[in-house]
Amino acid sequence: MIKKYTYRFGVYVFYFTLTSCINGDNYTSVSPVVLDFGSLPYPSLSQYHFFEGNIAELKPVYGVLPYKIISGLFIDYAKAKTFVWMPKGKSATYVNDYSIFDFPDGTVLITTHYFENVLPKKETKLIETRLIIKNEGEWTLVNYVWNTEQTEATYTKEGSVVGVRWLENNETRTVNYSIPSYDECFACHNKYEVIKPIGPKPQNINHNLAYKEGTKNQLEQWVEIGYLDPNYSKNIVSAVNWEDASQPLELRARSYLDINCAHCHSDKGYCNYPPMRFSFNKTKDPKFLGVNIQHGFNLGDSLTNIVSPGNTETSALLFRMRSTLGQFKMPIIGRSLQHKEGVQLIEQWIRSLDTSPVKDQLSANRITKSL
Amino acid sequence: MKKIYFLIFCLTTLTASAQTSSDTCTDASNATAITGVGTFTVTLINGSEAPTPDCTISNVTASNGEWYVYTPSSTVEATISSDLAVNGDKDTRVHIYSGSCASLACIAGDDDSGTYNGTNSTSFLSVVTFLALEGETYYIAWDNRYQSNGFDFELTEAAYNSISFTQQNIVTGTHSPSISCAAVDMNNDFLDDIVSITKSTITPEEPATPYQVYNLNIQYQQANGSFISTNHAVGATYDASWSLAAGDYNDDGYNDLVFGSGAGVNVIKANNNGSSYTMVAENTGPFTQRTNFVDIDGDNDLDVFVCHDIAPNVYFINNSNNSLSYYQSGDNNPSNPISGDGLGEYNSGGNYGSVWIDYDNDGDMDMFLAKCGGSEAKRKNQLFKNNGNGDYTEVSITSGLSDIIQTWSGAWGDYDNDGDMDCFIGGYAGVAHKMMRNNGSSGNYTFTDITASTGINTFSQTGVDNAPADFNNDGFIDIFSNDNILLNNGDMTFTAFSAGMPDSGAIGDLNNDGYLDVVTPNFNPNSRMYLNNGGPYNWIKINTIGVQSNKNGIGARIEINSVGLGTQIRDVRSGEGFKYMSSLTTHFGLGLNTTINAITVYWPSGVVDIINNPSINQTLNITEGQSLSVNTSLYEELSLYPNPTTGVINLKTSLNIENTLYTIFDMKGRQVLKGEFKTRSIDVSRLSTGAYFLQIMDKGLARTQKFIKE
Repeated sequence: MIKKYTYRFGVYVFYFTLTSCINGDNYTSVSPVVLDFGSLPYPSLSQYHFFEGNIAELKPVYGVLPYKIISGLFIDYAKAKTFVWMPKGKSATYVNDYSIFDFPDGTVLITTHYFENVLPKKETKLIETRLIIKNEGEWTLVNYVWNTEQTEATYTKEGSVVGVRWLENNETRTVNYSIPSYDECFACHNKYEVIKPIGPKPQNINHNLAYKEGTKNQLEQWVEIGYLDPNYSKNIVSAVNWEDASQPLELRARSYLDINCAHCHSDKGYCNYPPMRFSFNKTKDPKFLGVNIQHGFNLGDSLTNIVSPGNTETSALLFRMRSTLGQFKMPIIGRSLQHKEGVQLIEQWIRSLDTSPVKDQLSANRITKSL
Repeated sequence: MKKIYFLIFCLTTLTASAQTSSDTCTDASNATAITGVGTFTVTLINGSEAPTPDCTISNVTASNGEWYVYTPSSTVEATISSDLAVNGDKDTRVHIYSGSCASLACIAGDDDSGTYNGTNSTSFLSVVTFLALEGETYYIAWDNRYQSNGFDFELTEAAYNSISFTQQNIVTGTHSPSISCAAVDMNNDFLDDIVSITKSTITPEEPATPYQVYNLNIQYQQANGSFISTNHAVGATYDASWSLAAGDYNDDGYNDLVFGSGAGVNVIKANNNGSSYTMVAENTGPFTQRTNFVDIDGDNDLDVFVCHDIAPNVYFINNSNNSLSYYQSGDNNPSNPISGDGLGEYNSGGNYGSVWIDYDNDGDMDMFLAKCGGSEAKRKNQLFKNNGNGDYTEVSITSGLSDIIQTWSGAWGDYDNDGDMDCFIGGYAGVAHKMMRNNGSSGNYTFTDITASTGINTFSQTGVDNAPADFNNDGFIDIFSNDNILLNNGDMTFTAFSAGMPDSGAIGDLNNDGYLDVVTPNFNPNSRMYLNNGGPYNWIKINTIGVQSNKNGIGARIEINSVGLGTQIRDVRSGEGFKYMSSLTTHFGLGLNTTINAITVYWPSGVVDIINNPSINQTLNITEGQSLSVNTSLYEELSLYPNPTTGVINLKTSLNIENTLYTIFDMKGRQVLKGEFKTRSIDVSRLSTGAYFLQIMDKGLARTQKFIKE
């Protein structure tokens, strides 16, 4: 009973805040999303009303806008569906090509991880839905774990492990998928302990997406829907889809390393002390990728550099990407399997690098000091 | 004729050094000694004293000899060689002795090791190399076993490379690579065994649950130097990819283990004879870094401390029945026995290297926490002073150890042998190392940055693992730092050795020769031993067997006092450096010292044991309380008044007791009170009625007096 009243109250709150039509619509639409900051985080995902009908189908309601970053984080072969919601009348603004948009209070970024063709029934299995919610200038991290019946997802700060067996290209695969604890979410999603989103940056969404209404550049769609201030650079230096073989190999590698590594290996990230800076906008300079940079400590007799041009077997970066052992694998949180295709990409890239001798092989020390 | 003779004489004097040979050993002793490199000429072998005994393998003596005395000005590798082109066809033989002319002892000798052969089919010239210690007297004697002809010889000196290792692989198990390793006694025979952990070959068909079967390979060191390998299957949820520690938390004589991984931590208990291992406690979540077995809450049993990378630190507290209860620092759990500032409560962690030492010499273990990553506030190192009973105060700022340096571990040791623990902070990712010298009791146990004078900031090798150990047994603690050994020169400067040094691993004595070795997982199916090639110095090893204290004696302070070297101290610790588990046997190098006045063990319980005049170059097992007896002799120069007392006892004594530790025992030898003298009186009002002993340490000797409390 109490629940119902709260729901109505929430709807009324947003009904009354409605002030204008959405561009291009013939009628005034209301987003059914309920966001009562005093009660957040809700115990159940359904309480937000992000999705209509059967919640597990992830059909977004009005105002919940699907988006897609051009290269995705590898998470043990789980797939991702991402959405963004903002309160009516508020929009994000462009900061620069490589930074998260300046989102308004009330923004929710929604990421659901799932597997398809899960055995034995070859069905879709939703694992978790991660929310990043902005309020009073600060973001909070909230995670919801789906039940086996796929009827609801429940809030938790605890990590857990879900065993999954699924078919990928007719091949059976298994994984112990790790749902992160709050502490693990925080470890990646922080800059000097201030929580930040990672994905939605202009460089990552400056490409077309097939919407219900037709295919359009995402930035343009965000403007149309009122989610983005139209004053943004029309010449955005953008990341590419690492899986797109028609793109230059170097851009593919840099895009892959940006989305998988830059959040920790950045100036204010969790692991800012080694010299790598994997952000796409920085890696034009190969030293930030660790090319010809001596590895700072002993990882094994032959691993001399972070990246050795032309030599995959002495490149510590590749060793860590290949490894599934706790003390070596990178990323350090978020995967337990090797990403075969990502490894192949980086192997190709390393082999393509100029092998002419370097006059001044830089040690990790000197790079760190120059940061 | 005369002219030619004169010329020859001149030439001879030009080529010869001041030292000419002597006919006998005694003559050589009275002549000028050789003190360094040079070329020397033996004109003719006709001295009356033939060298004896024969230092070459022939066992055939000669009829005549020529003698020199050599006293090196520093310890060197000396080479005596007649293998010079100018000697061509000649045939020489040489013997090197130490001792005295009346009692010569062979060090080395040589007959035909040379390469120059002149017109002979092979060389008959001699070359011999030996370790020549600074200030020692050596006798170089040539004989005429084969020829009496004169010849030249050279003495050259090479720097004594005072640390080197021989590498040896060990087959450790079924699946590669070895996840971690330890050098610690697992079968209660006090010999360090090698523990390697690898994944089992069992690959579950279904998606593997986090629970796996690990292969615990233990190489049990035998008295004869061999190893017997046994594999134990251990079912555990978390592997030891990030940390391994050992300690006997249930005091049954068999060390238990803790495995720490990025996803959680579990405690593995040995059965009552070390033949099988079972997971007994676990927690999901802790991104585990350094772990230690240590008495955190001051109840004289071992708990397990766990560094958490991304949240406040956690620990398993040992309850009185040896069950383990899990807590997180600052969790507001009313049962959590840790109070005060806790043990590392920064919200998002950054906790990497916890090491437990008594930095302020007050008889309990404090904790240094090396921190890294993120903002300055997150990565400031911390120092937790133990107030007793699980209460801790964070004192990094007042002590001078609050530092944003990026580090994963500090190596604590008394590097200058002045009676307090100093701290070497190992920089990571190119950040320079630091040496923080403990200012001792007169400095209120604050720390001063003396890095610049030590030279360690010039060492470019940085990394995560830094641990203290005396590797060359010269009585000065060295630092094992990321594939390098920083050898303590004895004056708070260090020399870095890298070629042939072990990479990070566990330190222990793997062949029971008194020289510390290293075992590394080597990223291979086989672990690798680095066996210390040893040297000329003496040593002693001590195993602490607790009775009132925990059985390993973890938390005990051991002090030795040897003639010539002074005082050295150790704290018994589980979990040094960052990742591995080193031996729980306490090791001291003694340099050339041959006498130890006393070993004093200050047990965590307060019991003090003193072993006078122990033998050196051996392992001593000391059981808590073995030297305490109720028939203790009383010290006349210490009188207590009023006696009997109802509240306070005052001391009248010629002893200098300021800042000295005291312990009060009841008649059964149980410690009831301990502290440090600030004044010359002690408040004993809370003691029950009865008779007690007051014991004070005075220059390594126990002074005892009795009093009655009414």
